[in-house]
Amino acid sequence: QQWATFGRAWYLLDAKMQPPGKIAAATVIRLEGRHKPIYHALNDCGDHVVIINTRHIAFSGNKWEQKVYSSHTGYPGGFKQVTATQLHLKDPTAIVKLAVYRMLPKNLQRRTLMQRLHLFPEDVIPEDIEKNLLQEIPQPRVVPKRLDEYTPEEVAAFPKVWTP
Amino acid sequence: MAAPSLLRGGLRRIFSGLLGSGWAAPPARALRQVVEVTEGNTTTIEGRIIEEAEAPPPPNPSGQCPICRWNLKHKYDYVDVLLLSQFIRSDGGMLPRRITGLCLEEHKKVAVCVQMAHRAGLLPNHRPPLPEGHIPKKPKLNRYLTRWPVRSAKPIWKRGPKWCKKPFPVGHPLLKDNVKYTQKPLCLNH
Repeated sequence: QQWATFGRAWYLLDAKMQPPGKIAAATVIRLEGRHKPIYHALNDCGDHVVIINTRHIAFSGNKWEQKVYSSHTGYPGGFKQVTATQLHLKDPTAIVKLAVYRMLPKNLQRRTLMQRLHLFPEDVIPEDIEKNLLQEIPQPRVVPKRLDEYTPEEVAAFPKVWTP
Repeated sequence: MAAPSLLRGGLRRIFSGLLGSGWAAPPARALRQVVEVTEGNTTTIEGRIIEEAEAPPPPNPSGQCPICRWNLKHKYDYVDVLLLSQFIRSDGGMLPRRITGLCLEEHKKVAVCVQMAHRAGLLPNHRPPLPEGHIPKKPKLNRYLTRWPVRSAKPIWKRGPKWCKKPFPVGHPLLKDNVKYTQKPLCLNH
């Protein structure tokens, strides 16, 4: 029975209409193993996390235009600065990957924990991963309903605040 | 509520022979339906008043603007589309203050919430009519709580060191007095 507590679980997280920061915070907790009472930094008790729909991520505020991801290739004149929109169009999983990477503790375990993270831009998951999944992590942000998603009864039940 | 085929304002009626006497004046402000009736060579265009059911009395009838009367002063947000949709036209613009009867600060708050709801994509049917249509669409990115219009925001190339970072504006300062349902303080700059 002791082997069952130390086993690695697979969690699923749907990132549709969610802010990548909160997604990263939830995954980092699971990847490190802080959600388990047997947590210790030295025993390798992290779990796998599969994030789907990373293409449909939502940033609050104007961060799509204002957030800049910068990197340097090491060569002179190699300072690259890319806005979040451009990066997302080039690679839909990059924003979440960078968010999780920068939230993990800056130690040698970071690379191994990143290998336990699996990102998919759409709903499509390979079969072997789908069979492994155990539980779904609840979404951090409550997604608001659009006006056409309300039923006509709800629309009619809402009182009119002023009359023409 | 916001359909272009409904006429407001004065009645337009073309009489052909008949004159009504002892006829009470219709209410000055009501939603009217345009009805066109063609009888032979006479066309009657009439604005028929739509009879609407009596609304239940608001909880606080002594308020000045509809939001005070319904006790919603600090309780609505960009998410409450059912409330916001009562103050917009069919193409997404705001109705004027003299029509809706809102106080200036509430009108501004509702305008800001409506803008945020539009940018979040919560009002898909209130778009302005485009004749030709921009067929090669730009990729639609999900966003919420945007303070500035999408095309006007410039990238922040240098955010600065940790002690003086340039913040990302989120939400709007007009909405900072809203009722909080969590213990966390409302963060307007991320």
